[in-house]
Amino acid sequence: MEREIQLLWLAVVIYVIAGSLAIFAVVLGKRPEKTILGLLVSALLVHGISIGLRWVRLDHGPYLTMFEILSSNVFSLLFVFALAYWRFRAIRPVAAIVLPLMFIMMGWLMLSNPNPGHLPPTYDTTWLVIHIMFGKVFLGAVLVAVGMAGVVLLRAAGIGEQKFSRLPNDRRLDDLAYRFMALGLIFESLMLIAGAIWAQNAWGRYWAWDPLETWSFINWIVLAFALHLRVTLKPAPVRGALLIIAVFVLAFLTFFGVPFISRTPHQGAI
Amino acid sequence: MTLWIARLASLKLTLAIFVLFCASVVLVYFTHGSPAWILALPFCLFAVNLAAAILSNPAFWRQPGLLVFHLALLALVILLAISRLTYLKGHLEVSDGETFNGELTESESGPLHPWHLDQARFRQENFTIDYAPGLNRGRTRSQVLWQDADGKLQQSTIGDQHPLILAGYRFYTTHNKGFAPDFIWYPAHGGAPQEGTIHLPSYPAHEYQQALSWTIPGTRHKIWTLLEIDEVVLDKNRESEFRAPKKHRLLIRYNGQRRELRPGASLLFKDGRLKYEGLRLWMGYTVFYDRTMPWLLAACTLTVLGMAWHFWRKFAARPWRAED
Repeated sequence: MEREIQLLWLAVVIYVIAGSLAIFAVVLGKRPEKTILGLLVSALLVHGISIGLRWVRLDHGPYLTMFEILSSNVFSLLFVFALAYWRFRAIRPVAAIVLPLMFIMMGWLMLSNPNPGHLPPTYDTTWLVIHIMFGKVFLGAVLVAVGMAGVVLLRAAGIGEQKFSRLPNDRRLDDLAYRFMALGLIFESLMLIAGAIWAQNAWGRYWAWDPLETWSFINWIVLAFALHLRVTLKPAPVRGALLIIAVFVLAFLTFFGVPFISRTPHQGAI
Repeated sequence: MTLWIARLASLKLTLAIFVLFCASVVLVYFTHGSPAWILALPFCLFAVNLAAAILSNPAFWRQPGLLVFHLALLALVILLAISRLTYLKGHLEVSDGETFNGELTESESGPLHPWHLDQARFRQENFTIDYAPGLNRGRTRSQVLWQDADGKLQQSTIGDQHPLILAGYRFYTTHNKGFAPDFIWYPAHGGAPQEGTIHLPSYPAHEYQQALSWTIPGTRHKIWTLLEIDEVVLDKNRESEFRAPKKHRLLIRYNGQRRELRPGASLLFKDGRLKYEGLRLWMGYTVFYDRTMPWLLAACTLTVLGMAWHFWRKFAARPWRAED
């Protein structure tokens, strides 16, 4: 276990260097984007090895304890973000918003107990892995949108208007952010479907309005509402950005808050 | 008419329905036992709004992805309604060696459920449940015998992710299981002996409450039984398997008298004799019936495919920086 933890620490240190560099780049108006991307990829590799070693040792994926769930989410969210960072050069400065957000999760991760949990037989199924993976893509897509929404809101507040001047205008950012939200809706729908298949096999019911199911469904409605509102009322980018933040906060609370109040076998993080 | 359909198809109404949906779900979540209409109302409004939009909004017919997405959503809502009208969810307990007779300990069902549980007969054979140190429950393997359509006897091992499916009913093992003292009642004046088992509270959840009152079948005699286990059944410190204890005593209290019974011993009454046959196990199952499940899955899949197709076409047609 020691090796896994050492590798995780190393990955976290590299993530923090990448994030700090992203902040300094925006503040000082520099463009060390290749370095940041290189650091992100290196950290993901090291983090991936740490998760893989634990997976092999415990013979189950990182989805049982809060430590495992936080670790795998830091990995998956930053993996999705790194893909977006690599693919959409124009929005690379949003790393200065997204990476510090991830620092909070990393801090929580480093404070959580790394001891293994017990794998219930109902968790020993491929459908759970599929369900979780879809969920991670959903949250990752919304996180990328949050980065762009953050820039729109900062500009509206008169903070960093100059610092983020290299980024496209608010309307373009809003457009791209909502494309990521649409991707999020697709993957959240897939997450709900795969989760229903898992729940049917595990507990003999595909839907039971348990806390996680209920809040995931509320998430789906709010996300669908945000996309529909955009088509119907065409709100200004600032309002659109606020909706994106609302969706992310709700999703974050569903992923990491509801498991604390849920007393059902469908726990998420415990 | 067309005006009404156009009003019902309003996209602003869709937004209002989303808000109502959210409010209903939150209300149902925070209040227990809310009436079904609280959720049914937004579902119905959603279906009407969707149907009206599909009929009247030409945008749907120009964009096949959008059309498939919304038609599948409409189908999903209709299927969910059928599901709620015809479903059954229930619990049952069967001792090993016993045949499930269609009796449920508790159940809830839709008003149009066809009730053919009598066609879903199975006999409970042995079952094993692994336990890891710390009393963490592992795999459940439950052996059941059942008859196929040709009347041939079939044996299946079910448990955890693998249900037994008979006549559309899906039987799932649960964490609920325990010990079942087995008795035979021999009436004093002839008549057929009657067998009965007491399903003691679930084990190990109620390890220290292995007692229950029971009425002997075919009589008015009510006895109180307590199972005293003189060995460790599930070891907290090592891997173990759920099983009936070999060293145990059954304490019976009847009419103020207290007796200790071992397998084979009898208790005499004025009108008969109660023989303790031995200790068996009982397994708790949940039963679930919903014929719409494969259709629901198909509708969900179509919804996502339609959505993905729509967004792909929409975004591919106009790159996000096209105006720059």
